Amino acid sequence: MSRAKASRGKILRTGGFHLVAGGISVLWLLPILLVIVTSLRTFDDLAANGVGGLPHSFTLGNFGQAWVDGGEFQAMVNSLIVTIPAVIITLALGAISAFALSRYDLPLRRTVLLVMLAGNLLPPQILLVPVSKMAEMLGIYDTLAALIGVQIGFGLGFYTFVLYGFMRAIPGEIQQAAVIDGASPPQIFWRIVLPLTRPALASLSALAFTWVFNDLLWSITVIRTDTKMPITSALLGLQGQFVSQWNVIAAGSVIAAIPTVAVFLRFQRHFVAGLALGAVK
Amino acid sequence: MTTTGFTRRSFLAGLGAVGAATALGGCVTSTGSSAGGGSATGPVTVQSNLSAPSAKQAMQALIDAFNKKGGSQASLNTVASETFRTQLPSYLTSSNPPDVMTWYAGSVARSYADKGLLLDVSDVWSGVTGYSDALKQISTDSGKQIFIPTSYYFWGLFYRKSNFAKWGVSEPTTWAEFLQACETIKSKGVTPIGLGADNSTPWVASGWFDYLNIRVNGATYHRELLAGKHSFADPQVHKVFDQWKTALPHFDPKGTALSFQDATTNLLQGRTGMMLIGTFLLDTTPKEDVDDIGFFRFPVIDPSVPLAEEAPTDGFFASSRTKRTQQTKDFLKYLTTVEAQEAYLKSSSGSSLPANPAAKDAGTALITKGKEMLNKAADLTQFFNRDSSDALQPTADAALIKFIQHPEQIDSILTDWQSAAKKIWAS
Amino acid sequence: MTATLTAPAAAPPSPAGPRRRRRTLSPTLLAFVLVPLLVETFWVFWPAIQGVYLSFTSWDGVSPAVIVGFGNYAELFSDPTFGKAFLDTVLWLVLFGGLSALGGLGMAMLLLKDRRGVGFYRAALFTPVVFSLVATALIWQAIYQPDGLVNTVLGTLGLDSWQHSWLADANTALYAVIVPALWRQIGYVMVLYLAGLKGIDPTLYEAATVDGASRWQQFTKITLPQLSSVNSVVLSVIIIDSLRSFDVVWALTRGGPYHSSELLSTYMYSTAFQSLRLGYASAIAVVIFVLAFGVILTYLVRAFRDADA
Repeated sequence: MSRAKASRGKILRTGGFHLVAGGISVLWLLPILLVIVTSLRTFDDLAANGVGGLPHSFTLGNFGQAWVDGGEFQAMVNSLIVTIPAVIITLALGAISAFALSRYDLPLRRTVLLVMLAGNLLPPQILLVPVSKMAEMLGIYDTLAALIGVQIGFGLGFYTFVLYGFMRAIPGEIQQAAVIDGASPPQIFWRIVLPLTRPALASLSALAFTWVFNDLLWSITVIRTDTKMPITSALLGLQGQFVSQWNVIAAGSVIAAIPTVAVFLRFQRHFVAGLALGAVK
Repeated sequence: MTTTGFTRRSFLAGLGAVGAATALGGCVTSTGSSAGGGSATGPVTVQSNLSAPSAKQAMQALIDAFNKKGGSQASLNTVASETFRTQLPSYLTSSNPPDVMTWYAGSVARSYADKGLLLDVSDVWSGVTGYSDALKQISTDSGKQIFIPTSYYFWGLFYRKSNFAKWGVSEPTTWAEFLQACETIKSKGVTPIGLGADNSTPWVASGWFDYLNIRVNGATYHRELLAGKHSFADPQVHKVFDQWKTALPHFDPKGTALSFQDATTNLLQGRTGMMLIGTFLLDTTPKEDVDDIGFFRFPVIDPSVPLAEEAPTDGFFASSRTKRTQQTKDFLKYLTTVEAQEAYLKSSSGSSLPANPAAKDAGTALITKGKEMLNKAADLTQFFNRDSSDALQPTADAALIKFIQHPEQIDSILTDWQSAAKKIWAS
Repeated sequence: MTATLTAPAAAPPSPAGPRRRRRTLSPTLLAFVLVPLLVETFWVFWPAIQGVYLSFTSWDGVSPAVIVGFGNYAELFSDPTFGKAFLDTVLWLVLFGGLSALGGLGMAMLLLKDRRGVGFYRAALFTPVVFSLVATALIWQAIYQPDGLVNTVLGTLGLDSWQHSWLADANTALYAVIVPALWRQIGYVMVLYLAGLKGIDPTLYEAATVDGASRWQQFTKITLPQLSSVNSVVLSVIIIDSLRSFDVVWALTRGGPYHSSELLSTYMYSTAFQSLRLGYASAIAVVIFVLAFGVILTYLVRAFRDADA
C-alpha cells in the first residue's frame, strides 16, 4: 500500500521536475529557435516581412553562403587554433599557481592572489589600444600567436582565483599522507590535487573554451587580415555598411555555436564525477 | 612573518614600478616612425570596409581585373565596417599600415590629412579628366588632393509609387505641399512619415537635421555649424527645430524603436507613406519591389536659400607611410577609370553613382532622376558625420532622438548638445 | 631560470620559534607562482599601467598625446552622463548581480541530481552563453520591438497598458536589457555552482535526512556553508561580470536612447572609440577598476579572514 503511494509520489515528483525543468529549457531556448528560424529564411523574405514577422520562405542556402562566402571554414580553423592552446595553457598555468598559493604557506600569497585577480577587474576595452600598440612594437601584431597570448594573459587571474577556491577545500590530510610518503610538490600536484579538482577543471575548461571562442574585442583589435580572423569577427564581417543579411548571419551563428555546445555537452559529464572524498575516510 | 624584509622589498618594488611606469607609459602614445617597417615589394594592400557580400565580391572582381593587367599587384582585405571605423586610427598610425583604405570624403578624411597621415595624390588627379569640380574640391585639403572618390549616392524622400497612386498623392515640392500630402496619407489611415532611428541606427535622424538645416539656413551655415564655428544653442538652429515640429506629428511614433531595415519593411508593406533615407534603401528591398520605389527631393522651405543636396561620397585614400608609393598610385589611378567603376557597380547593388561621369550607372529612372537632382544642386553636403567627425555623431544622435521623443524639451536639449559638442571640438 | 635567480631573494629569514614545514621554498613552487604572474604582468599589467598613464593625458589616438594631469578626473565629477552611468552601474550590480546569483544557484540545485534528461536541460541553459551575440541580439531586438513578441503576448493577455517600446523608451531601456543579460549569464553561473555543489559530500545530506532535517534546513545548514569557498568565487565572478557588463548592453542599446541605459563600461567604450577621447576613457576605466577592486576587496578580505579562523 505505502509502496504504491511512494512510487506514485515519485512519478509525480519526476513529472513535476521534468515539467519545470522542461518549461524553463523551452523558454531559454526560444530565442535560439528564433535564430534558427531566421537562418532558414531568404533575404527578400526578411526585407519584406521583417525579422520579427512570420516566415514566408524556407531555404538551406544561407548555411552554404555563410560557410563559403563568409569564409567560415577558415575562420573556424582560426578560432580553434587560438582557443585550444589558449585554454590548455591558461588552465595549466592557473592550476599550478593556484596549487602553490592554496596548499602552501608562501609569503604574500594572498597579495599575489589578489593582484592576479585584479588583472581581471580591468575593463578589457581600456587595454585594447595599449595591447595593440605593444603587439606592434614586438612585431607580432596581426598574428594568431598574439591573440593566444592575450587570451592567456587575460584569463589567468580569474582561473587561478577559481581553482584556488576549489583547491583550498581539499582536506589537508590527503596532502600530509603524500608528504609522508616522500612526494615532492610537483608530484603532489600531479598525482593528488589535480585529479581531485577534475570537476572544477572540467567546468572551467568548458567556460574557458566558450569565453575564448566567443571573444570579439580582442580579435578585432589584434588581427587585421580577414583570413586570419576567428569566427566571431568573421561573423561580424557579414554585416554590411548599412544593410545586413541577417539570414546569413543567423546561419553563420548557428554554425559557430556548434563547437562550443559540443564541448559543453562533452565536459558536462565530468561534473558528474564529484570529488573522491571517500579516499580519506 | 618577516616585517623588515617585506617592507624594504615592497618599497623597492614600488619605486621600480613607478620608474618603469613612466618609461613604459609613453610607449602607448607613440605614433610609430614614418621610417617604419614594410617593404617596397609585395602587392599593394587594400583594407576595405565594404563588407556586404555583394560589395565584397565586387571589390574582389575589381582587384582581380587590376592584377590581370600585369604590372603592380594588389591584394584585398575586408573587415566589418564598424570594426574598420574603430580601427582606422590604429591602421593609419601603425608603422606598417595598409597602403590603400576605403573611406569617405569630407572632413572625416581631411582631419587625417591635416595630421600628415595621408598620401598626396595630386599627381593622380592631374591625370584624370572629367571629374567635376565639386568632387575635386571635396578631395582637397590645403591645396593638395588626398582622396580618390569612386562613387556617391543621394538622399531623398522615398515612397512606393503604387501606394502614392492608390492614395492620390503626388510628389510635393514645397513644405506646405509636403504637409498637405502628409494630411492626405493620414486620412487614409497610414502613418505619413516613416523613420528607422533606433539604438542601432540612430544616425538616420541626422538626415532630417541636415536637410532642414540646409533648407532653412543654407549649406554654408550648416558646414560652419558642424565645424564648431556656431553654437547649437543659436537661434538659427532653434528655427530648424521649430520647422521640424510642424512635421513631427506625422512621424511614426514607433520610429525610434525600429532599425532602418525594419522601417524599410514598414514602408514596403504600406504601413508608412514615405521615408527620408539614402539610396541604400534599395539594398534591402526585394527585387520585385525595386521598380515600384520612387523618390522626391526634400521640399523647399525658404525659396531664397540656394538649393543644396546631400551627396555622400565614398572612395579611397592612401597612407603617407606606404613604401610602395608608385604601385599605390597606379592602383588609385586604376580606380578612377571608367572600366574599374563600371566593373564595381555591375557586381554591387547598383544603388550608387560612379564618380567618373563617363561611367555608366544602373540607368534606372530613379538613379537618373537623382543624378540630375545632384547635378543641378547649388551645393553638395556629405552627411552629418562626414562633414564634422565620427566623434560628433553620437552627440547628434542623443540630441535628435531625445527631440523626436520629447520635442517640448528642445531648449535644454540644445544646450546639452552644445556642451557635449564643445568637448569634442576642444579635444 | 627565473625561479633560481629570485629564490634566494624571496626566501625569508626564518622567525624564531616553531615554524611550519615548508619555510624553505622549493624553486619549483616559486616557479609555479612566478611564471603565471609574469605572463599576466606582460599581457595585462604592462598595458594597464599604460592605460593609467593615458588617463592623465588627452589623446585622440592619432595626434601626439597632451598631458593634462588630473584634468580628466576633474571633468568626471562635472559630467552628468558619467554620474548617470555610475548610478546605472550600481543598479545593474544589484539587480543583475543579485538575480544571476539566485538564478544560477536555483538552476544548479534543480539540475544537480543526475537523472534522465538533466544533461539536455543543463545544455539548454548553457546554450545562450555560447551563442554568438551578433545573432541573439538581433532576435532580442525583434522580441522587444513595438510589434514584437513581448508586446504581442501582453496584448493577448489584455495588458495593453503595459506595452512599451522597450528598448527605445528611456524609462524601460535599462531594465529591458537586464533580461537578455540574465538569459546569457544564468547558465554560466549555474555551471560554476554545479561544480561547487558536486563537491559537497552526499553523506552529510544522508545524515541530515536521518536526523529529520527539512529540505530548507538542509539547504541553509549544509549547502550554504559548504558552498562558502565556492561562493566567494562565484560572487566575485558575478561582481566582476556586472561591473564589466558590456557586450549585451552595447549590442542592444549602445547605452541609448540618449544615455538612458548607459553603464560605466558602455560610456567608456563610446568615449574611447566613438568620441575618440582615449585619455578621458582611460580615466573612466580607472574608476571602473577602483570600484570593482573596492567591492571585491572588502568581500574577499572578510572571506579570507573567516576561512583562516
